[in-house]
Amino acid sequence: MPDLFIAMFKEEWRVHAELFGSVGFALFPALVCAMACMGTVLVPIVNAALPAGDLATIVHLLFLLVGVMVGGFGLVGNEAMNRRFGQVSFVAYAARTLPLSERRIFATFVAKDTVYYLMLWILPVLAGVALASPFAGLAPATVLRLGLTLLLAFLSGMTALFLLTTVWGRSKPAFAVTALVLAAASAVAIVAGLPIFPPLALYRSFSWTLLAGLLAAIATALAISLLLFEPVSSGSERRHPDRFSGLARRLGRLPYPGLAAKDLLDLWRSGGGVAQVLFALVLPLALCWFLISLLDRVLPTNGVLLLFAVIAGVLGSTVYTWLTAFDALGPYGCLPVGVGTLIRSKLTSFFLLQAVPAVIVLVAALATGAGLVALPAVALALGLSAWSVAVTVYLAGLSPNILVYDPKVLAAFLGGIGLPIIALVAFAFVSPWLGFAGLVLVVPAALVVSAGIRRWETADGTFF
Amino acid sequence: MEGASHPRAASIFEQEGTSLFTIAIDPCVMAAVIEARGLTKRYGETVAVNDLSIEVPAGALYGLLGPNGSGKSTTIRMLTGQIRPTAGTATVLGVDVVADPVGVRSRVGIIPEQETPPSFLTAAEYLRFVGSIRGLDGTDDNADWWFEFLDFGDKRDVLCKDLSRGTRQKLMFAQAFLHRPALALIDEPLVNFDPIVQHQVKEFLVDYVRRGNTVFLSTHILEVAEEICTGYAILHRGRLLHAGTPLELRETDRHLPEIFLALVGRDPAHA
Repeated sequence: MPDLFIAMFKEEWRVHAELFGSVGFALFPALVCAMACMGTVLVPIVNAALPAGDLATIVHLLFLLVGVMVGGFGLVGNEAMNRRFGQVSFVAYAARTLPLSERRIFATFVAKDTVYYLMLWILPVLAGVALASPFAGLAPATVLRLGLTLLLAFLSGMTALFLLTTVWGRSKPAFAVTALVLAAASAVAIVAGLPIFPPLALYRSFSWTLLAGLLAAIATALAISLLLFEPVSSGSERRHPDRFSGLARRLGRLPYPGLAAKDLLDLWRSGGGVAQVLFALVLPLALCWFLISLLDRVLPTNGVLLLFAVIAGVLGSTVYTWLTAFDALGPYGCLPVGVGTLIRSKLTSFFLLQAVPAVIVLVAALATGAGLVALPAVALALGLSAWSVAVTVYLAGLSPNILVYDPKVLAAFLGGIGLPIIALVAFAFVSPWLGFAGLVLVVPAALVVSAGIRRWETADGTFF
Repeated sequence: MEGASHPRAASIFEQEGTSLFTIAIDPCVMAAVIEARGLTKRYGETVAVNDLSIEVPAGALYGLLGPNGSGKSTTIRMLTGQIRPTAGTATVLGVDVVADPVGVRSRVGIIPEQETPPSFLTAAEYLRFVGSIRGLDGTDDNADWWFEFLDFGDKRDVLCKDLSRGTRQKLMFAQAFLHRPALALIDEPLVNFDPIVQHQVKEFLVDYVRRGNTVFLSTHILEVAEEICTGYAILHRGRLLHAGTPLELRETDRHLPEIFLALVGRDPAHA
């Protein structure tokens, strides 16, 4: 197991180092650390604006959110390994040639990915907090406790989603039952005054019993997930009647109906249809809603909804990443399509799927009695989504999932979307109707996409 | 598209006593469909293909031979506009591969060595998808022909990810010839096929060429090259070592494996 882990770990490092250079990739945690450090320095100012304890809640929920976004192993499982490693991986396919079970390899894969995320994101954040703690008035003991509980919040989110997605993969009714049981348990905990979010409870009041219970729960969820997970395809031949022709006909008015129909079938049949929407968009957005609602007292009227719309827009732009992640680009090399056509077709599918974040914002507006400003909120979300995806296309072309780990690209992305976000939030806070200003971004977004397409069409990549 | 209509594979044996060699077209009288001059591809310090100049006449069944890592696949990828050459020029069917790579791919059929069809389309859907990308009418008739010819019609509704490697290769074969291209570039055409399908495919390729089309294939199975090719080039460490025709070989009473081993086998790396 250690040898396999080390081999996978080295492989992961070399894949990234080859893409960004060893120094560039090694600098990524430094960038995260610097950002966390700067954020921590601002803690006294933020704390003054927030009711006591809310900042700790927000930070813990953010770590839970990162865990949730990482933990979708069960959602695509082997397919994710195929997409990530493809033909270049040897270690992930060692079961074919060595006496190693697929389950053991997958368990190691999960462990390796977990450690990688810890090293790339979690530990650098904790280091940044620790470095800035003297300036933020945080005692060393508090920093240590915070480090532990944030780590547990991340692991809780990751293992919970791993469990849910694995159960989803096994049986939809079993998933419904599990979700109901979890919801009921949460309700009972709330009524009984038990800690519904143990990592936060542990931060507020440390207890060895609670720590042991939480660690046991995480280990149990992980073990059940690995036991339930089916790393090997069943060997059965899944058959489908022709859905492509009808779908392509229905999408006939779009610029690339064949490519768009394939995208939608890819997404649906890969298990990513409902599940991807649920786990990568609805759940994180629900958490974000909860986080933002904590700021209700310091935000202007409708501020929660408008801020939520901004986040829905940025998160909605990651749909482009799904569309590229589920599609191996190699086979296009046999066909008369270039990078430009592929990017345009992915964007066509992307805009079709933007109905999802738009509906989520609409529902949030109606559910919170802010129906009057629902339309500007949706416009805000869609405008920002268009701008974010344009920046993504310009910076990363057809590989947004990989290039996010290039510190230079990430910094450029954050810089590229940061200013419009600040400007739009400021406008919308002055008057919710100024949320319509988000639609203005569509024009520069189109220009940036054109520039991005020109850039990637002439790049000396492996495919053009 | 300017290619021939689909042949019936059996037709190549309809002329009794005719061997595969004797039906080959004399490449000397035909215009070149592939012309490469000084084609070079470097990856950092590694030179994958080094100053390759080659001409493939129309109507040829041309074999690019070489050991593993000799640059065969890189050459095919450059000729089909999938990767940009570091230096040199190439035209395929008169189209510049750098200036108009999509134009090249719209005219030729390509079977890559490693790529497999998209996971989440069925075999039939994939051929319809290829038809829609290539703007073809009547894809279904062509697809049906291929399902029948390569005997995998029972798999037409199976997701590509659940197909065996051999069946995926059959599907990739079908997609490459769906638009009846005047030129097909095939990387290791027989590698995943059983002996029966290998035989069928060899028959098909010979007949396809006899109907006025051109096939450019890479292989390291020398016996296959000697059996069906009308011309060949031997590549080693990215360099062109030798080019010739089986007719020339027969005149000197030599065989391709003998020449190949004499040229490549003396390299200590292959000793």
